[in-house]
Amino acid sequence: MPTDSQTLLLLFPEISLVCMAAVIFVGGTFGNNRRGWSFYALAAYGVAAFALWRSADAWSGGAAAYMPSGPFAVDIMGYSLRWLALATGVVLTLLAARQAPKQLASEFLGGLMLVVVGVMLVCSANELTMVFLGLELVSVPTYMLLFLGRNDRATAEATIKYFFLSILASAFLLYGMSFLYGLTGSTSLPEIRASLAAAHEIPALNVAQQPLLQATLVLLLVGLGFKIAAAPFHFYAPDVYQGATNLTAGLLATAPKIAGIAVLIRLVVAAFPPDDFIWQLFMTLAILSMTIGNVCALWQNNIRRLMAYSSIAHSGYMLIGLAVAAAANSLLAEETSVANLQAANLQAAGIAATLFYLTVYVFASLGVFAACSLLAEKERGFENISDLSGLAKSKPWAAGAIAVFMFSLAGIPPLAGFWGKLSLMTESLNVALPFNGSTLATAFCVLAVVGMLNAAIAAGYYLRVIAVMFFQPPTGHAEPSVHTEPVGGWLTGAAVGLCTVAVLGIGLAPQMAAEQSSRSEDGVRVFVTTHATQPAANLATLEIRGAAEPEVTQQAASK
Amino acid sequence: MPSLLILIVGLPLLAAVVTAVFGSKLLGRHAHWPAILGIAGSCLCSLALIAQVSDKQSHSAGPSQAGYAETITLWNWADIGHAYDQAPKAIAPGADVLAPGADVLVTPGGMRRFTIDITLRADALTAMMLGMLTFVATLVTIYGAGYMHGDRGYWRFFAYVSLFVFSMTMLVSASNFLLLYVFWEAVGVCSYLLIGFWYEKPEAAAAGKKAFLVNRVGDFGFALALFLIWVTYGTLNFHDTANVAGVLGQTRLLGELGFVGGGVGFAICILLLVGACGKSAQFPLHVWLPDAMEGPTPVSALIHAATMVTAGVYMIARCMPLFLAAPDALLIVSVIGGITMLLAALIALTQYDLKRVLAYSTISQLGYMFLAMGVGTTAAATAGVFHLFTHAFFKALLFLGAGSVMHSMGHVIDMRRFGGLRRVMPITHFTFAIGCLALAGVFPFAGFWSKDAIVAAVHDKVHILEHQGMERHGNAHDAADPEQHAAGRAAADVASAVVTPSVTPVFGLTPSSRARVYQTLYGVAIFTALLTAFYTFRAFFMTFYGPLRTPHEAGPHPHESPRSMTWPLLGLAFGAATFGVLFEGGGWSPLFAKFVQGSPSFAYGFAEYKEFHPDVAMASTVVVLMGIALAAYMYLGHQREVDWIAGLLQFRWLSSLQNLEWVNRAEQHRWLVATKKLAGQLALGWLYGLARGLVVLLATVAIAPLMLVHNLSPYQLSSRKFFFDEIYNAVIVAPLRLLATLSYWVDRYLVDGLVDTCGRFPFGVGRFFRGLQIGLVQFYALAMALGALVLIAVLWLGAAG
Repeated sequence: MPTDSQTLLLLFPEISLVCMAAVIFVGGTFGNNRRGWSFYALAAYGVAAFALWRSADAWSGGAAAYMPSGPFAVDIMGYSLRWLALATGVVLTLLAARQAPKQLASEFLGGLMLVVVGVMLVCSANELTMVFLGLELVSVPTYMLLFLGRNDRATAEATIKYFFLSILASAFLLYGMSFLYGLTGSTSLPEIRASLAAAHEIPALNVAQQPLLQATLVLLLVGLGFKIAAAPFHFYAPDVYQGATNLTAGLLATAPKIAGIAVLIRLVVAAFPPDDFIWQLFMTLAILSMTIGNVCALWQNNIRRLMAYSSIAHSGYMLIGLAVAAAANSLLAEETSVANLQAANLQAAGIAATLFYLTVYVFASLGVFAACSLLAEKERGFENISDLSGLAKSKPWAAGAIAVFMFSLAGIPPLAGFWGKLSLMTESLNVALPFNGSTLATAFCVLAVVGMLNAAIAAGYYLRVIAVMFFQPPTGHAEPSVHTEPVGGWLTGAAVGLCTVAVLGIGLAPQMAAEQSSRSEDGVRVFVTTHATQPAANLATLEIRGAAEPEVTQQAASK
Repeated sequence: MPSLLILIVGLPLLAAVVTAVFGSKLLGRHAHWPAILGIAGSCLCSLALIAQVSDKQSHSAGPSQAGYAETITLWNWADIGHAYDQAPKAIAPGADVLAPGADVLVTPGGMRRFTIDITLRADALTAMMLGMLTFVATLVTIYGAGYMHGDRGYWRFFAYVSLFVFSMTMLVSASNFLLLYVFWEAVGVCSYLLIGFWYEKPEAAAAGKKAFLVNRVGDFGFALALFLIWVTYGTLNFHDTANVAGVLGQTRLLGELGFVGGGVGFAICILLLVGACGKSAQFPLHVWLPDAMEGPTPVSALIHAATMVTAGVYMIARCMPLFLAAPDALLIVSVIGGITMLLAALIALTQYDLKRVLAYSTISQLGYMFLAMGVGTTAAATAGVFHLFTHAFFKALLFLGAGSVMHSMGHVIDMRRFGGLRRVMPITHFTFAIGCLALAGVFPFAGFWSKDAIVAAVHDKVHILEHQGMERHGNAHDAADPEQHAAGRAAADVASAVVTPSVTPVFGLTPSSRARVYQTLYGVAIFTALLTAFYTFRAFFMTFYGPLRTPHEAGPHPHESPRSMTWPLLGLAFGAATFGVLFEGGGWSPLFAKFVQGSPSFAYGFAEYKEFHPDVAMASTVVVLMGIALAAYMYLGHQREVDWIAGLLQFRWLSSLQNLEWVNRAEQHRWLVATKKLAGQLALGWLYGLARGLVVLLATVAIAPLMLVHNLSPYQLSSRKFFFDEIYNAVIVAPLRLLATLSYWVDRYLVDGLVDTCGRFPFGVGRFFRGLQIGLVQFYALAMALGALVLIAVLWLGAAG
């Protein structure tokens, strides 16, 4: 167990951010200078980033430094996701410097900072209470931010919808957690895992608790699926995104998604016993989300509604990786140690692919919203894709940046999105190949095929945006339009540039991430071969492997 | 030597890059300077290289059979560690490795390292080609500066020409089949770009396309040859490397590993020949070269007369050891050459476009070179290469002369529209005359020596083969011509000692039947010499003699071309006049032959036999003089007699029969008029009309074959180029076009329709799910709850069932 001072050091980024947020809230009542508070917030993120960087010393001893007990898991996965959360916070703050309401800027910036803290806490939470509190720390300021974004009916409607449905989802999540506590008598994730695994070994007990476990999982998935906007819990997304501003839509598309994926990995993939229904559920949700998101997006003309459906579809892609990890988990306990090793590798690879995809998605998606803010700062800004026609002529840099993000989201090489999709589909087939002929193999082949078909459908609407910008002459729309308005300030430009660099950088140098992941893979192999018989070991291995791309994230964040 | 080779290829490349980068803006009217300086520098280096190679050859004490060659490897281009390969075999010299029926493909395969190095070589053949190429290119580039003056694409022209010179120097100095192929394609691209230089002209664009497509056919054969060489020899290098013996390397030439004969060897050679036929415009792939004259005239001179089209001859010369191992392929090379030279010469007789006459003459002369290459003796091969060498000078000269005429006639090239230019353009007239004399092969101009050497070599080959045949049958040869036959036997002995005995022929021809083939070719060569003299001087007389006539495009005062154009003409004329004597010296001091024989490709396995034949020379000279006299008579002589001969050749008497005017005239006859009137009065006018129609119908049916015959008159056949274009259009182009149209419709309607249907499907699904998005928060909450219930229900039911 770490000492108190070590704990403080490990959590110092979050602690410092909360303090700074409090300063903003209090200070805001005395002077509400938007620009000043924005720089202050950026400095706060800088301090947090420095602290996070220093805290790496605490566990850099390798796998041995993994500390599974206690309310926080200190591991590479948590570490890299915290970097991602910080980067998101920096980008959103840069946008807020020009977009936040003038009178309430300090409240907006402080709320944003609390959301980031919430995401960071969830990413390393190792205990049910902590998970729930973290998620609420994400949700509650989000209600406020949504409402602060703009002052009209559409925003109010969107906020209310999100508020009600989010509470409902939290209720489902809490319900599921209570079942989990009832089943295991513990709120600590490692203990839950040990208890469930022990019960799974005893056939009679297994049969008895299976239905309850299934219901628990579904309830948890409702709550978490809402966070990541997975079908069929996605209904709020299009309405809310459309009613929000570009800034708050960008927040909705990223922060809850990072938190939701982190919890899904820690709670479901790692803590649940190796049962088939888990990957079946994930796969169902993945196929539903991808398909619904993509086919509906084909019809959209509103840019934020389109991005909402796009975020639904991308949640589906990420669920592919989780399905792979869950399937590997269910294969893990069975056969020889060789098969065990293979399955452990697969599990790690599935999670790594999901995390990589999450990183890529976050930057591309944030980039799109940042670029939209750049084009239209005023109130609502532009709404429709057709407004973008001829943008390549009037604002070539903005059009180029949007094109990069769209290409990346569509998964066109050599951009980051391509590598993300490639690794997901590869892992899906890797699960299928060794078990040729089984139901599992067929299912994962189908999953890969559906994923690819969806990628093709998705290209339809992403490329349409590019086609409108580059190949259509400007239509005679009402002034002021995106062509006449000056572009947003350099802070907004910096946000767009940061996302572009991240997307291009990950796309052009994926080998950096690949090197990192191969290093982690070696670590996984050593670990699994020495602890192959201990079920608890698997938790640790996959989390080491999960750090496929902290380098990139660090880079982006340190800018 | 390495630095020289690098400079030779590097300077034109540098010039091309400089012109391409700075040409349009910075250089403007001075865009010719990089090209001229680069190519002239390359030329100086080539001359130095020739001197060095010559020096090394005379001092190298190595075995003469392997010749002298030096290679430099610049860098490694490709390296595949485990390329699939048929296990290569060690082949004993001269051994008949593969019986005709044996199948090489069943041998167990293996993995083998496949590396492609960028390797340049210096040997006599390369040095000779480089010297000739860069020398002609220098003069043509200088000429081009005058000829292209004021053209919109001035810099583009010099960029292309420099690029071409780079590609061509790489082609002849590459020491690897793949590299040879790469630059074979590169010169093809340059040729395409330059033929279509005036791409606004539809004819020029079409001609470029035609040249490119016809060459694809040849290149396909070449590519197959490369594959076959790789699986047979296990390497594509000419030279030996550390662990692999090159295809034309010392190891093989010295006899430790021989060359593959039999069916595989034959196939390799025939495929190489297909490639050579494409590039060198040999029958049946000769159709592109005349159309290529749409390009600027300097290009016609450099690429389509002097250098690129001789790449095929160069390639066969380079691969001579491979061909020697497959005598039947050699025979086919000769036959192709013979057919081509006769065909092209016949077509050239009646063309009115001055450049086309020269183009067909180029094809014909290339045919001579192929004939020489196919003979397979040292004398013939060196004669073929020598003809390549001299031809470059006098044909470039003739083209540049034609360009000079064209330049001054306002780009009119139809010989019927001008004449008597000898006083207007004295320098062009003088140099053109030298070119014509050289092309016709008049003593002592360059063409005489090289053409005579070829004809004489064919003559000798006949004797060699006759002797082999007689010895095989054990006959005593007849003593009609003891001297020649003795020589022939000596040569045959040498030949049999080196290559011939154990090579199984594919066709199984006896030496005497081969001898008959070569005898025929000898006759064809002599006859073609007559035709050559005729059409050459026909063009010369039509252009420069007779009363002065100029087209209106030329303006009121046509004048001689500028000095930048006449100086290159004089330079080339000097070459065309003297290089024969200088380098061949009547067989007494064969400088050229001695030099070229030092090349590894020529050093191996030949029958040594070389003598100047006064009788052959005499025969061809007489024939040539006859041709010139005939041309003078036809084009300078009495008009009515000439017309009569022309009428005879055109079957003009047939055309009078075809004219149905006589029906009308007969109707004017008073008996018929009366009959018609009578029939009209008896209300039988319809009967008269019927009878008249019948008569006309019968006459037409009777005339139809006559019309066909009329179109096949000697004159028509020649003037319409033996209908090659029409036949190719009907047999190849039209069916392909039909297929393409069919594919287009299938793709457009069937495939696209299916694809579009697939594309509409996601939209349909999307419309359904969109409908669920009704905006009511109660419904959304219900949907979430229902979703959870359905999932739980399915899981429980699944577990229960």
